[in-house]
Amino acid sequence: MSTAAPTTGRGSTAPGAPASGNGRAHRPHRRLPSRSSLSSYSWSSLLYVAPALAFFVVFVLYPIGVSVWYSFYAYDGLTQGTPAGWGNYTAVFTDSRLRAALLHSLVLLFFYAVLPVCTGLLLAGAMSRIRVYGLTVFRAVLFLPQILSSVVVAVAWRNLLAEDGPVNSVLRAVGLGRFTTSWLGDFGTALPSIGTIGAWVEYGLCMVLFLSGIVGIDRSTYEAARLDGAGPVREFFAITLPALRAQISIALILTITFALRNFDLIWNTTRGGPGTSTTVPSLYVYQDAFQNRLLGRASALAIVLTLVILVVVVAVQLALRERDVPRRRFTRQGTRGSQCRKAQS
Amino acid sequence: MKSARREGSGRPRFVSGAAAAVALAAVLVCAGCSPPGAGKSAVAGGQIAITDPVTTAQVAALGDVTLRMWADQAEKPLMKSVIPAFEKQYPNVKVDITYKSFDDLVATVVNAASGSNPPDLFQGNIGYAVDGALVKAKLVRPLDDVAAAYGWITGTGASTLAPARWNGSGTAFGAGNLYGMSPISEVQGIYYNKALLKKLGLRAPRSLKDLEEALPAVRKAGEQPIMLGNSDQYAATHIFSDLAVTEQKPAAIRDWIGGKAGTSFVTAGNEKAADTMADWAKNGYFGSGYDGLSNEDAVSRFARGSGVFFVGGSWNGATLDPAKFGFGALTTGGAGATASPWHISASSKVTPAAVAFLAALHTPKTGQEILDTGRLPVVTDGVKGGNSLQSQTLDALKRTIAAGTQVGYYDWSATDMLTVMGGRLQEVMAGRTSGADFTKAVQDAWLRARRTQ
Repeated sequence: MSTAAPTTGRGSTAPGAPASGNGRAHRPHRRLPSRSSLSSYSWSSLLYVAPALAFFVVFVLYPIGVSVWYSFYAYDGLTQGTPAGWGNYTAVFTDSRLRAALLHSLVLLFFYAVLPVCTGLLLAGAMSRIRVYGLTVFRAVLFLPQILSSVVVAVAWRNLLAEDGPVNSVLRAVGLGRFTTSWLGDFGTALPSIGTIGAWVEYGLCMVLFLSGIVGIDRSTYEAARLDGAGPVREFFAITLPALRAQISIALILTITFALRNFDLIWNTTRGGPGTSTTVPSLYVYQDAFQNRLLGRASALAIVLTLVILVVVVAVQLALRERDVPRRRFTRQGTRGSQCRKAQS
Repeated sequence: MKSARREGSGRPRFVSGAAAAVALAAVLVCAGCSPPGAGKSAVAGGQIAITDPVTTAQVAALGDVTLRMWADQAEKPLMKSVIPAFEKQYPNVKVDITYKSFDDLVATVVNAASGSNPPDLFQGNIGYAVDGALVKAKLVRPLDDVAAAYGWITGTGASTLAPARWNGSGTAFGAGNLYGMSPISEVQGIYYNKALLKKLGLRAPRSLKDLEEALPAVRKAGEQPIMLGNSDQYAATHIFSDLAVTEQKPAAIRDWIGGKAGTSFVTAGNEKAADTMADWAKNGYFGSGYDGLSNEDAVSRFARGSGVFFVGGSWNGATLDPAKFGFGALTTGGAGATASPWHISASSKVTPAAVAFLAALHTPKTGQEILDTGRLPVVTDGVKGGNSLQSQTLDALKRTIAAGTQVGYYDWSATDMLTVMGGRLQEVMAGRTSGADFTKAVQDAWLRARRTQ
């Protein structure tokens, strides 16, 4: 275990170091001779982050601020807006179409978040027991859906799920012909079908996250468990699952965010149809902003959606927060690596 | 999220950070907290009145200039012949054209037009989302003087200018000042597979009644009667409008689409048309799984020989083999509309050059080039089809324009009409709602649009 400490680098997560960001930042400064050089030092260090910070302010903070600003006006993007008070927000909460859309989002939450995490756990758990040759290749292939452009994914699945597509061909071949349907065109199956596409996109990411976490688990704990007579199932629930808590938390945050703000997959498969059976809130954000030129209402809906996502993510974080300190260092290392991969994709 | 995990305690401390950041951003933006769009004033000055056709000398007087244009990707084949000819006629003008996909164009052109350096000549789109916004914000130059000087208001195609006419506040169209001109027209109708019709012993339908007789016979023979791809939610609305226009006066439909107060979609004709759509769907005339098939895929399937009929419009013809397919209008005259109109920016500094370009688009010569590149011209004088399918489509168009049945498209009536109408019609066809519910829901959306637009 102690061998891992140097690799974390920069001393920021050295054992026993205070967890708070402030303590970390100030410790090296104390060695500096005077206050004036301390302030000049921190200013110059700020220069290093300035490009990233500027980027963040211009492309993230400023647009968010503009959205908040617009959300209190009736504004078409061209002529002067008129103050609307909380009108746009009350419109969001009283729109019956949006309630239906939110329900669809909840269904998608199962497909986009719960299903991929479970599938990812299952695969990762299996791979942790069985020695897989060419694991890197496997991982790359299973991760592939993550890096594909969502338009490509949508077009491919539209063909797979078509009336005369491969999915129905397989069903007919195995004698399940009576279950064939136009999966994305049927009122009953369109939403679960889109959910399945989302699950396919996300499970690879979850699996890779969990595999990287499993690498960090001390093999001796498995040996100890086996000596104590634990079977594969017991082993999974007693060792693997608890050790992956941080990864599960991250996986859920990423997939839940993906589920609640998903737009491109739906727009490119059903446009919310048939009827309104696959509408989601982000679809209305797009329609209000770009088709109806109701920028105020679109902004209000986007802000509400952001807050909903934030609340759900915080709830997940609270539910899955870690209590046991020693093992965390390993698992966190793992997630950081895999998050880089996610960022690259 | 990154910062959250680096803190390591597992507590969602980043929430307070995020909240602070958002608050900060809001404060930064809202420092003055004036309404958005304040201080933007419409450019009105500098407009030259056009009393006669623009001469080469007038354009030459501009000196060496660039005419900046934005166009739909679909215009590219036509522009390839029009632009070189224009630059030859007006050697001091260099045309700088930007092509965009249709979706991209309608989503960005209004913002481009309201920017500090707008294109001089650009395509909008009929209806409230684009043209209405352009007129309302006074971003485009009225073209009444141009139309009068060039005789557009009296020649063939004069009636096709109506959808580009708006009232001053951009809240109703179909009458009023002219703000745009489209040289390209469209006609709705039915394509048929000649070989399959022959095999089934049927003749090409010339009316809705003919089609209604043919459909059960085709179905009985085991062929799919109508090829339909409705996952984009608009293809079925074209069939609906073909049915609806046979039942009521074209002028009434045009008024409703134009947003005329007091008109209603809740009519016996519309209800009947919707019920017919439901019946046809129930009887399997559209096959199965049409809601899961895109319109594009449906056209290519029809082109490959599945389906006896395809109800669409002249824009579908380019990919069909003229030897195998024919075209006819279902209604007397047929229904149709014009494609995206061209607008001249109100703040253009090269207005004479832009006017000259518009005029070059509105000639019989360009009309022939439009037909040759697979579409239909507004100016049809002396224009001849190169094959039977082109001639049939052109005939239908001429009759449509003569009969005054260019009613336009329902989705022009409100920015979200395509979604509302397309989605509701899917429900009608699936037997989930009735024709009466459909017309009421559409009218509700129309009324909502009147209140907000």
